[in-house]
Amino acid sequence: MDSNKTNRRNFLKLGGVSAAVGITAISAIPQKVAANKLDKKITGDLVKVHDDFPVEVRADYKPPRNWDHVQARSMFVDAVKAIGEDVEDEIVADGQAFIKKMNYAYDNSKVGYNQADKALLAGAWAMNNYAAGPSPATIGDFGVNSWEQRSEKAHYALFDNDYVVKKKYKFDNKQQAADYIKRAARLFGADLVGITRRDKRWDYSKFLNPIPPLLRKPLLGPPSPEQLEELKFWGPDKFISDWSDFPFEPKTVIVLAFEMDYEGISASPSYVGSAAAGAGYSAMAKVPYQLAVYLKNLGYNAVSAGNDMGLSVPYAIAAGLGENSRLGQVVTYKYGPRVRLAKVYTDFEFVEYDKPKSFGVMDFCKSCMRCADACPTKAISHDKEPSFDPTHDNKDNAWYNVKGVKKYHVDAKKCFKLWGELGDDCGMCMASCPYNKPDFWHHRLVDSITAAMPGPVHDFMREMDKMFGYGNVEDPSAIKKFYSPKGKSYNGH
Amino acid sequence: MIFTGIEMLFFSLGMLTATSIMGAYYYNRQYRFKAATWLALALGLFLMLFCIAWSVSSVLEGEPRAASMGMLIFGIPSVLLLILARRLALKNVQKDTK
Repeated sequence: MDSNKTNRRNFLKLGGVSAAVGITAISAIPQKVAANKLDKKITGDLVKVHDDFPVEVRADYKPPRNWDHVQARSMFVDAVKAIGEDVEDEIVADGQAFIKKMNYAYDNSKVGYNQADKALLAGAWAMNNYAAGPSPATIGDFGVNSWEQRSEKAHYALFDNDYVVKKKYKFDNKQQAADYIKRAARLFGADLVGITRRDKRWDYSKFLNPIPPLLRKPLLGPPSPEQLEELKFWGPDKFISDWSDFPFEPKTVIVLAFEMDYEGISASPSYVGSAAAGAGYSAMAKVPYQLAVYLKNLGYNAVSAGNDMGLSVPYAIAAGLGENSRLGQVVTYKYGPRVRLAKVYTDFEFVEYDKPKSFGVMDFCKSCMRCADACPTKAISHDKEPSFDPTHDNKDNAWYNVKGVKKYHVDAKKCFKLWGELGDDCGMCMASCPYNKPDFWHHRLVDSITAAMPGPVHDFMREMDKMFGYGNVEDPSAIKKFYSPKGKSYNGH
Repeated sequence: MIFTGIEMLFFSLGMLTATSIMGAYYYNRQYRFKAATWLALALGLFLMLFCIAWSVSSVLEGEPRAASMGMLIFGIPSVLLLILARRLALKNVQKDTK
């Protein structure tokens, strides 16, 4: 018999010995060390950590006011006119059409816009509408996002912890403080959390809020004579406030990201897609408020915010949640652009701050342009390079664009026009983005390869993404897929 | 279901990987692979396992087109490489017997 020939017994012996050697070798490496080393290596190779804000900002950059925003200006047209500023008729018409369709319309003959889809949208947005009201249109100091910092329990409330306690909790060190805050945010429902210093560049310089203070949140008791007096004399001279009216000096901004449903966003544009966004907005009306109450009970002032108070995208970049992109939204490593952002402003500052990170998104955006191609109104730039000023057709009257920041400027007026036509908030740019994928290992692998590869490979990656069938928009089958019970089969059942 | 699709996938991939390595060792004892055979075999097996992982994952996430493309892009080269590895192994045996 050939001594080299393996018989079954030797073969099994060898298998057993190999397995034993393998198990011994693996268990000999302290798992934590190995995981940390691997994580550090991958992070070091693919993710660049920045000490400063990673986007160029010109010296003449000025922070916007909260009504330098198409939605705020369009939906609060009377208030903007009352303070003596003009509003273009075009965006007023778009805003009214959007509100009318989103509130009252459905069409049972149209896929994605029937009564069931409308009901889904209504339920998804309900918590935002009730608790945070106009926050999506940048109007703050309303409902859960109230600026009020009470120092004791409301007299008439059975349970009430929404006040700043007298004794400040002392953390052992800054890292512990960051860990506790992030853990709390995750418990309350945030998918990503980052902590950054308050940066006045990203805060609205002034705030428009035409809603009388008495009507901004549910009453905790009978109104006081002062409140009734304020209501009586409420008018345009009181519509505008600024940071001198804010109850404390914020030092820190905690940025939260909420994943939007993948199948929902894939159904964009439709009421189903808008419902996915609405569910995100409703999470924004819940979690930041809970985190603000948590901070108040640690003894610090805190105010929660959705789209109000400041620009969420640069704050999210500064807090290390993701990178800027062509479509103007932050692209996160885990969920791509399919996130909603919220913030909590606080005067707590004994905390380890996060650093901005980049992983090749802006490089990929230079060649990809899938979002720009998918946008029916051509609101998204096709420019190769980002620029400090808008380059779109309305660039001479682009009061809504933040100038002096090197980025791709989106023509918000064109975008908003489509919202008026559809009666929902579109979302095709997000749905088409190659970074918008379900949380599966093979997408993270492709993203890592993309980050490691030079520019010319990005064109190939974009074409492959299309060929593999990802990023389709205006696809009626996406609605069926969303409602299919099999749609979530990978989620543990 | 007790296990999720992705848990079942990676359990099966572990079994397939172990079986492939043991199979390769077994046939190496019989046919005495040369470097080129090892290269084609290793690459072919890796691509085959990757193809299974990719395609099953795509089906689980509800993207059947990505699954089909995965089979095309990773599956066909893997089959070609495994056929090549087989031919190289048999060629070596024929040479040795002459």
